[in-house]
Amino acid sequence: MDPRYASPSAKTALGLTLLLAWTCNLGCEPISKSISFLTKPKETKETIKLGILHSQTGSMGMNEMSLRHSETIAIEEINESGEFPRIDFVSVVKDGRSKSDHFRRRVRELIDIEKVDVIFGCWTSLHRKAVIDEMDNPTELFRPQGFEEKTGANRHEPLLFYPLQYEGFEANRNVFYFGSTPNQQILPALDWFLSDQEGGKRQKIYLIGSDYLFPRMANYIVKKYLELRSIQVVDEIYLPLGHKDFGDAVLKIQQASPDLILSTINGDSNRPFYEQLYKMGIRAETVPVLATSVAEDELRRIPPEFVHGHYAAWSYFQSLDTQESKAFVRRFKRTFGLDRVVDDPMEAAYTQVMVWKEAYKRAKSSDPLKIREVLEKGLEFDAPGGKVKVDPKTHHLYKKFRLGQIQLDRQFKIIYESKDLIAPDPFPAFAFPGWECDWTRGGLTKGPVPNIGL
Amino acid sequence: MFYWIYDIPSTTLALIITGAFVGFSWVGAVLIRPILRAFLRKRADINDLIGYVLSSFGVFYGLLLGLLAVAAYQNFSNVETIVSKEASALSALARDVSAYPEPDRTNLIWLLRDYTRYVVQYAWPSQQKGIIPQEGNTRMIAFHEQIIRFEPSSPGQEILHAEALRQFNNYLEARRMRLFSVTTSIPGVMWAVVLVGALMNIALIWMFDMKLVNHLLLGGILSAFMGLMIFLIASLDNPFRGELSISAAPFQDILTHLMEE
Repeated sequence: MDPRYASPSAKTALGLTLLLAWTCNLGCEPISKSISFLTKPKETKETIKLGILHSQTGSMGMNEMSLRHSETIAIEEINESGEFPRIDFVSVVKDGRSKSDHFRRRVRELIDIEKVDVIFGCWTSLHRKAVIDEMDNPTELFRPQGFEEKTGANRHEPLLFYPLQYEGFEANRNVFYFGSTPNQQILPALDWFLSDQEGGKRQKIYLIGSDYLFPRMANYIVKKYLELRSIQVVDEIYLPLGHKDFGDAVLKIQQASPDLILSTINGDSNRPFYEQLYKMGIRAETVPVLATSVAEDELRRIPPEFVHGHYAAWSYFQSLDTQESKAFVRRFKRTFGLDRVVDDPMEAAYTQVMVWKEAYKRAKSSDPLKIREVLEKGLEFDAPGGKVKVDPKTHHLYKKFRLGQIQLDRQFKIIYESKDLIAPDPFPAFAFPGWECDWTRGGLTKGPVPNIGL
Repeated sequence: MFYWIYDIPSTTLALIITGAFVGFSWVGAVLIRPILRAFLRKRADINDLIGYVLSSFGVFYGLLLGLLAVAAYQNFSNVETIVSKEASALSALARDVSAYPEPDRTNLIWLLRDYTRYVVQYAWPSQQKGIIPQEGNTRMIAFHEQIIRFEPSSPGQEILHAEALRQFNNYLEARRMRLFSVTTSIPGVMWAVVLVGALMNIALIWMFDMKLVNHLLLGGILSAFMGLMIFLIASLDNPFRGELSISAAPFQDILTHLMEE
């Protein structure tokens, strides 16, 4: 055999093996180190799902998109803040399609499939009531396939956070309301207009609204409130949602010659309403309109000359000159575009997520019961619109009231601001005698059901 | 399966794969070669025989690797084209709707911004994990609802509207193709064949009867090249994963423009 092919002796083999092992150890050390660094499991983050349930499509899609955006920047802000380095807050977004049935189906998905502990959602009272009903009384029809209904202690009951001002007359242990109630929005605005000072001591009030729950209930409360002050409503009129022809309605208003119009018209109907008023010569200087559902986002669809000088009642306006408000506006515009505006519902949508975060921090858990417990201790938070406080009794917020006058730049000039936070009262005694809500002492006490004409 | 490899930087991954192949070849050369030689050294022409087998095996294996590399590159390139096409259609759509009258213009631009931001911020990271993003569909429906609500009031607007709808359809088509591509990859069985083939290739080298140093050198070079080829295929496979993946840069550009609209 050729000696070149002779097998190496055991010593040589051993020597070579050792040399190879040493070389490999030397040469591969940096790589092995980098492998262990790169392949070691990344710091595992706990994921907490936050449900967002708004209409992304359908008639409410554009409005509710703004709320979703506010909630999104709040969640992104929490993740970026580094306050919870081991937790990733993830939004699970569902589309209610502007239909109650879809809201019901999506809320069941959020509860049964996604197992969220909190849902930020809804705009209209109709959808909110559908969601609450589905949360309280799950229906077979909307349960996702393959999921069995859990009962008793096993039943998963998330919290619902609702960001819109609304009509009140509602209480649910698992719902927290971040918008104003009529006594925090409409009634203080009426007080201002009825006062002797800048309001002009108005005495002849005309009520006009879209024909659904909020305007009917709000006007019911207004009429009861004005009765206490011996002021009569000149007349009231309701038109279907989306109504465009306001010729007859404005003619009736003109004939009644009120000195204040309280408008609870919602959505796209606002533009033709203000346009018709303008065409008929009704100006803000003589007969101002006090709107409860016209905010900065709605103003971009109405030519400024139609609405200039009229009023709106809210708790927050973009023009609010505070550090917190400016920071919120700046962040929103940077994220979603310089031409975007923010308004009261959007501020409330942002605030509700941040309040939940504060509660989570204190509860050290996303468990709905623990979060509710913290919130029921009267949690306070510095929102873009100023300090807010959760009312343990009603699950609403203590909020400020602000009255804004519409300017030609489609912004509001804040002409009045309540000195203190106003306590929420979803069941004002003058309108709903016998009704009371106090979750710290037994919950809801029911009285006679009012007839609001719906 | 081996998706964790996409979390490692490309250079390091190349070194790891190549190092693993070379290391395996060397360890085998020292530990297994003496055992194999005990069976094979009886024939003087054994190296010639192994050489013939290795060359014919190499042809088949080389073809397999080569074709796989080309297929992976073509797939990567196709997905890149789809993404470019999608981004171009989105950009053209944004141009078209920016000429709509108010308030439709603003609504449509806001909806496109919402969608594009979602793609960049949420959809792309999901794709990089091999998850097909779902929420973009709802945003597209919202846009569709808004655009079909527009009623042109002049011949110019009619042309503009028709063009915008055409771009929208192009966009939807490209988007659907992108989503289909999220889970595109070389089947696991092919990877198994590639790896078993590599092992057989190295095992054939161990059978050569020659000096250890020559073994280490020649076997190391061949194994290093196989490792590099496999690294290349792995990098190009799963076009949305890893450092060498299709980025969301075209959508980021569009978002930047949309933010300024």
